[in-house]
Amino acid sequence: MKSLEEILEYTSQLAFDLEFRHARDWKAEDPTRVLIGYLPIYFPREIVHAMNGLAVGIMGAGDRIQIIKGDAYYQSYICHMPRGIIELALNGNLDNFDGFIFPSICDVIRNLSGMFQILGKGKFVKYLDYPQNFLSHVGGEFYRAELMHVIQEIEKLNGVKLSPEKLNQSIRLYNRNRKLIEEIYTIRQDYPWRLSAVDLYHLLRAGLTLPVEMHNELLETVLIHIQEDIGEEMDKIKVVVSGAFCEQPPVGLIKTIEIAGCYIVDDDFMLGSRWIEGDVDDTSDDPVGALVDAYLSQSTFSSAVYDIENPKSQRLLELVRRRKADGIIFAAPSFCDPALLDRPTLQNACEEAGIRYISFQYHENTGQFKVIQEQVGAFSDSIKLWEDMPLEAS
Amino acid sequence: MKETFFTMGVDVGGSSVKAVLMEYGDTPRVVDKHTEKIRKRNPAVVADESIDYLLERNQLRYEEILYLASTGEGEMVQRKRGHFYSMTTHAKGAHFFFPDARTVVDIGAFHVKAMMLGPQGRVMNYKMTGQCASGSGQFVENISRYLGLAIDEVGQISLQADKPERPSGICAVLAETDVINMVSRGISAPNIIKGIHLSVAGRIVRLLTSLKAESPVILTGGMALNVGMVEAIQEVLKESKYDFEIRTHPDAIYAGAIGAALWGGYRHLKLLQKESLQNQTH
Repeated sequence: MKSLEEILEYTSQLAFDLEFRHARDWKAEDPTRVLIGYLPIYFPREIVHAMNGLAVGIMGAGDRIQIIKGDAYYQSYICHMPRGIIELALNGNLDNFDGFIFPSICDVIRNLSGMFQILGKGKFVKYLDYPQNFLSHVGGEFYRAELMHVIQEIEKLNGVKLSPEKLNQSIRLYNRNRKLIEEIYTIRQDYPWRLSAVDLYHLLRAGLTLPVEMHNELLETVLIHIQEDIGEEMDKIKVVVSGAFCEQPPVGLIKTIEIAGCYIVDDDFMLGSRWIEGDVDDTSDDPVGALVDAYLSQSTFSSAVYDIENPKSQRLLELVRRRKADGIIFAAPSFCDPALLDRPTLQNACEEAGIRYISFQYHENTGQFKVIQEQVGAFSDSIKLWEDMPLEAS
Repeated sequence: MKETFFTMGVDVGGSSVKAVLMEYGDTPRVVDKHTEKIRKRNPAVVADESIDYLLERNQLRYEEILYLASTGEGEMVQRKRGHFYSMTTHAKGAHFFFPDARTVVDIGAFHVKAMMLGPQGRVMNYKMTGQCASGSGQFVENISRYLGLAIDEVGQISLQADKPERPSGICAVLAETDVINMVSRGISAPNIIKGIHLSVAGRIVRLLTSLKAESPVILTGGMALNVGMVEAIQEVLKESKYDFEIRTHPDAIYAGAIGAALWGGYRHLKLLQKESLQNQTH
């Protein structure tokens, strides 16, 4: 069994390999294999896996490359992530990809899919429009048609027909993947010092570039390690980080939150990997239908989804209570319309429920964390030192 | 609470590490303290050495310190149970020195922070200087080095000034150029140093007024022991017709470390209380 340090070193390298070497090498082993890149947040990777492909998450270039060409494609009031992705595309980092999926998050991602089409990147580019209607015969039918479109495009690439058996097998593997991730989060809820938030981030992000079988092996090993009483507890508060589901925070920011006195016990960084809550039915004669049903009834909450019947503010509060968190950090990318539009509603819900929070914005390439560190540190101190000391008493 | 226990506060500043050993109880008591200049060494190592130094001198083991808290830039201190932010700890430290403290000014190496306190030493509001280094202790130290003076003697030298020459208050780089010009113009060291102190004091007074500070104002941090600095603040206050009572304490440099040790004691008891409640629930 590999040591925890070995795994974490490996995943930290893999998570930010913007050349996607591992995926490229995997593809080179078999001419019928395909690489399908997908953007945040969620895409049912099971479909690609069942068709002899690898769905690779493209989460942006972060703070790892200098953006030169990308800035020419976007105005200054647009978030940073698409600039990095265009830069990667123009630099040839994505040349081994056969197709690209752009899940519907916002107008910026829609425009990015158009740019990929105009630039002739990949053999297909699909803007995957997720339904905002959760009725099976309305949103469900629409979503099924969208998935069938993707299936047809992949079949055109490698001639592999999607069989229910293969898709059920893939669903089983991804169910396992989600379960392992959830188990890690559950252990971290009580013992967050056993695996730092940055290490967890690398572990999950690396999973976006690996075949699920390999990722499951890594997760299983990590799980064994963190079931042991390792690390040393520090006196920190527990927080949930919300709003960072699309453009990813720089690793330095995650680190800053932790060193400034907080244990991150839940977050939405790699939300796509945890999108479906619970298992997808892996015994169905219609596994595509099972994926559709899972999306309609088992999706987590996000600013990219407008489920009026199931308000996200209530779901966020429920998550905070379940994780026994002391507060929430609303961390959203600058100019992220979905996250920033939701923020006042979520903050109002926190105030009504008496849950403490702080808010700030970041870019994926933010390099200065001093101000955020002061803010998070003061937040941590205020909870640790004055939780039982009402303001009036002072 | 009759029993007492040991806590330690380690304040990693821009130029030195301050460590305090405290006996925490109903009446907390500073048992021992130590300051160590960083001098281009790794601050984490200096902090670690300071901890060992205090432990050894007091014949204690690390395990006997029930809460070791870092503050300032002390996130990198390995052996600790928790970290508190410098504003929180300086406020607590000042409240320890003077329980009637209403405002605290922490004059650190890189920033000056002014805080309004509640009766229990809680930070109610604060203001701090911006990024420019010309309002900080490091700036005074740099100028004294240019003039060939030891930082410990600049306070007394400043008191000898008869015609202080103020530099540009806008930027440390410009101010340093000003100082070079002053030297070439034959301005005496006391007058230059006093001018520098008045310049920093001007910034501090602006912070206090924008914060709507209340008396007494407690100065903490290394510069609080600089008599020239204290006098300059009082002069600027007088010039500006503000009537604040300025106080310092001989242990002002340890305010952050003392605050950290005090909050550490509080947290230790709090965590014990939580643990006991959890055990009862289970």
